[in-house]
Amino acid sequence: MARILLIDDDVDLIEGYQLVLSHRGHEVQAAYSADEARRVLRSGTPDVVVLDVMMESQTAGFELAREIHALCPALPILMTSGVHQAAGVPFRFEPDADWLPVAKFLDKPVLPDALAEEIERTVGKK
Amino acid sequence: METLRLMVVDDEPGMRAGVIRALHDYTVTLSDVNGHVGFELDAASTGEDAIEKIRTSPPDILLLDHKLPGMSGLEVLEAVARDWPQMLTVMITAYATLETAIAATKRGAYDFLAKPFTPDELKSTIRKAASRQILARQARRLAQEKRQVRFQFISMLAHELKSPLSAIEGYLQIIRDKSAGSDPAAYAHMLDRSIVRSRQMRKLVNDLLDMTRIESGQMSRELVDLDLRDAVKAAIETIAPAAAEKNLAVELDAPQPAMLNADRREIDMLLNNLLSNAVKYNRPGGRVRVVLRADGGGVTIEVSDTGIGMSADEVSRLFSDFYRARNAKTRDILGSGLGLSIVRKLALLYAGDVTVRSEPDKGSTFAVVLKQ
Repeated sequence: MARILLIDDDVDLIEGYQLVLSHRGHEVQAAYSADEARRVLRSGTPDVVVLDVMMESQTAGFELAREIHALCPALPILMTSGVHQAAGVPFRFEPDADWLPVAKFLDKPVLPDALAEEIERTVGKK
Repeated sequence: METLRLMVVDDEPGMRAGVIRALHDYTVTLSDVNGHVGFELDAASTGEDAIEKIRTSPPDILLLDHKLPGMSGLEVLEAVARDWPQMLTVMITAYATLETAIAATKRGAYDFLAKPFTPDELKSTIRKAASRQILARQARRLAQEKRQVRFQFISMLAHELKSPLSAIEGYLQIIRDKSAGSDPAAYAHMLDRSIVRSRQMRKLVNDLLDMTRIESGQMSRELVDLDLRDAVKAAIETIAPAAAEKNLAVELDAPQPAMLNADRREIDMLLNNLLSNAVKYNRPGGRVRVVLRADGGGVTIEVSDTGIGMSADEVSRLFSDFYRARNAKTRDILGSGLGLSIVRKLALLYAGDVTVRSEPDKGSTFAVVLKQ
């Protein structure tokens, strides 16, 4: 069982993830904005964070990832994004300790089962 | 100040020096583009030397002697016209014969300068070439900006379509694999949400078509004298089920006829967008009020709601394509982000405009002015 914080501004995407993850026995919290995520994180640290890049702004997720990393350096962050397609720029994100302190970058769409497996792998490694 | 690169190609050192002396402090003032142009000067003594220099940094204007040792002026001209079509070549001819002029024009020369020429004659010729190059440069910039805007629009459109697709795909996978347990209500809910999100996509596609049609001027318009009270009443009827669901009171304040020579479909589109926003962003049990006033040469439509309202920052971005206020209060509200772009574009068709007054948690009022 892992405690998971899901951060994405799409209610349905979150709901799908939540249903599957809870069914697999995980404890899931959801935040629909960076601000909400900050509030949730103040009340306790989960085992893993799933974070979307684009929320209120195109890069809100990046900023939040750096903040989370500064607060809890050991907390793994899985970052989901369609940003490299949306921007039309053929770059690949590489996790980077300072600029992009995330455990893994997942290209959207990330289907619920695939996310669950990724989360379990990540938490298992810890 | 803009800078143009100019290269003089002549085997006579005196000629090269003379051109550089005449132009090195020369500035062209272009009134039609509101700017000044200076020159970055370079010189070559042979055609071969010129081509080599052009290859590393092509000038905007080439001042090219017709008669050169080795590679001839016409041969250089031909190579330039083929490989650097944006460059303008001014041929320097010792004998301004008609045949040379025709031969050079055929190969793509822009202008001629007959030897011997005075610094003023040189400047006047260069001025003409410079203004043409600057106009071409500005046209290229504009085209680039347009491509950029289009690219951004399409990127955002793609993002707006992919979000519901991802949500639906996620739900479908869960339903197929039964990966959310055995409660049938959960699956029914996922199906319902999938339908809602599909409708959202359809709405986006329809809005996009509406918007493109308005912008392209392809919409066939049928302008007739309309009493907008009829159109408003119809729009209120259209929105009534959604308003009833939120228990909203919808009021119409239109004591006088509000006549406008207008296309009914355009007016319906405009009203439906305004009213659907007033319902969507309202609080349960709130109120929607439509005020219709005819004055002088036009009609003012005001649609007020008692909804969540907007901050000044949100208002300032409101009319951008795909802009949607994103916060906890709007999370469950679906929209294409194109509705108000459409409203504004329609208002512009009637030489009017849209303004908005809003206060967070109190509500918003949209006022559309339409003129004859």
